[in-house]
Amino acid sequence: MNNIEQKNQKPIAYYPGCSLNSTAIDFNISVKNLLKILKINFKEIKDWNCCGTTPAHNTSSEMSIALSARNLFLAKNMGCDEIICPCVSCYCKLFEASFILNSNITSRSEFEKKKREEILNLFKNMGFDTESELNFKVYSIVEFLYKNRDLIRQKFSENKIKNNNIVIYEKEKELLTQLKPVCYYGCVLLRAEYSTKFDNAENPVSMEEILKTVDIKSKNFRFKTECCGAILSLTHKEIALKLSKEILDAALEAGANSIIVFCPLCQQNLDLRQTQINKHFKTNYNIPIYYISQILGLALGLSYEDVMINKLFIKPEIKKLKQVNFQYL
Amino acid sequence: MKIEDSYLEKIKEEILTIIEPGIYYCYQCGKCTAGCPISYVYEYQPNEIIRLIQLNKINVIFNSNSIYLCTSCEICSSRCPQNVNIAAIMNYLRIKSWHYKRFKLKRIYNFYKIFLKIIEKFGRSFEPLLIICLNFLNKTFFNDFDSALKILKKRKIKIIPELLKNRKEVSFIIKKYS
Ligand code: SF4
Ligand code: SF4
Repeated sequence: MNNIEQKNQKPIAYYPGCSLNSTAIDFNISVKNLLKILKINFKEIKDWNCCGTTPAHNTSSEMSIALSARNLFLAKNMGCDEIICPCVSCYCKLFEASFILNSNITSRSEFEKKKREEILNLFKNMGFDTESELNFKVYSIVEFLYKNRDLIRQKFSENKIKNNNIVIYEKEKELLTQLKPVCYYGCVLLRAEYSTKFDNAENPVSMEEILKTVDIKSKNFRFKTECCGAILSLTHKEIALKLSKEILDAALEAGANSIIVFCPLCQQNLDLRQTQINKHFKTNYNIPIYYISQILGLALGLSYEDVMINKLFIKPEIKKLKQVNFQYL
Repeated sequence: MKIEDSYLEKIKEEILTIIEPGIYYCYQCGKCTAGCPISYVYEYQPNEIIRLIQLNKINVIFNSNSIYLCTSCEICSSRCPQNVNIAAIMNYLRIKSWHYKRFKLKRIYNFYKIFLKIIEKFGRSFEPLLIICLNFLNKTFFNDFDSALKILKKRKIKIIPELLKNRKEVSFIIKKYS
């Protein structure tokens, strides 16, 4: 207990990003509630802006870095240098900006050094404090949870002990007992040039390890790090549908009945577009796509509403079980 | 349309000096192409792109669809046995094609244009406007109509854009670099 409290003295900044503010609101709320029950002290960055995602990244590297740098400087103004960023696309951009800006990095190329000067100058002129030591740490949600597995395990066993006193929600219990998931990491988080590479890029296991702490076992999956087509779904839909379909195929082949993800874009391509996939390929998929924060939240005692399961487009079909032998909660 | 040689030479020189000095280490093993999820629609495969740069044929790259469809998934770079940073090269060529008005795929071009305009105005993305403008410009009026309806039904989207307090800073950044 002691070390949790100590860790929480300094708040962590939370950057939701545009997706989590609209189409992935379920991800946003479930992550926030999850962090709350884990007693993580966090606050949302005030007046945060869009990271520019693919359009900025693909048209001007300086624009992309400057947009993310603004968010980092805002976090700094709030007294935070650690930032949690659930969206993978935002994470890559924020991490790149932190790599360019941080004072203690010596391995920058000439090109990167030039960018650094340019960006610092820009923000100095905009009135931000660029003189003091910059030491930003950007975490994706998976990395953050992976690092805090002990905390999750502790919370989980606390719940188990309290088992008799707390309400055990019916639906939640059934969803978890019937869950046979595969973990899907998406293509870029562990591969990006600018990222912490906290797990193996070709065969990551961090999500499985996180789920193990709450006794959820996932199936072996050979499509863990394939690409879902990302933002091509807006302009060249056929490509995104084909790639997403292959992922669904592989999940069924692995014997799974659901997929657990942590990227709002992957979730959208697999969940919202599953009906389009069915129509396009004359298939009949009905595979719920959960965010890791939703499943973890349920296992740690949150309700359906707390993690917004009702916002999923493919609803989990839960068979009523009469007598469940339930080991969660 | 013909671009002057000096311009192309400059791009190549920049790739060699600042993006990927190791471009000649590529031994055409094709591992990048094997892993690339989009390669099946590419007119030129990632390993061919590397070869084209070596042969000073950047013009050919600009005129094919490959660099524009690339999703920056970085599978190619992370698997290359010679450590060639293909994804960075693809990205750099894309940026150059944008700035020299050579961006070939109009639908993606429109998407980027509208998206950046929206952040310039609001500071954050605003999907309803994005989809409407995009479908209008691309003349794909009923594209994603079903998805839009579903999203509305679930109330997953805001109808009114959020405005940042200091959105001037954001539009300044966007104007400065576009
Ligand atoms: S993987 Fe590397 S060495 Fe092999 S063809 Fe691609 S760029 Fe060349
Ligand atoms: S980064 Fe682009 S070229 Fe490389 S594997 Fe991904 S889609 Fe293909």
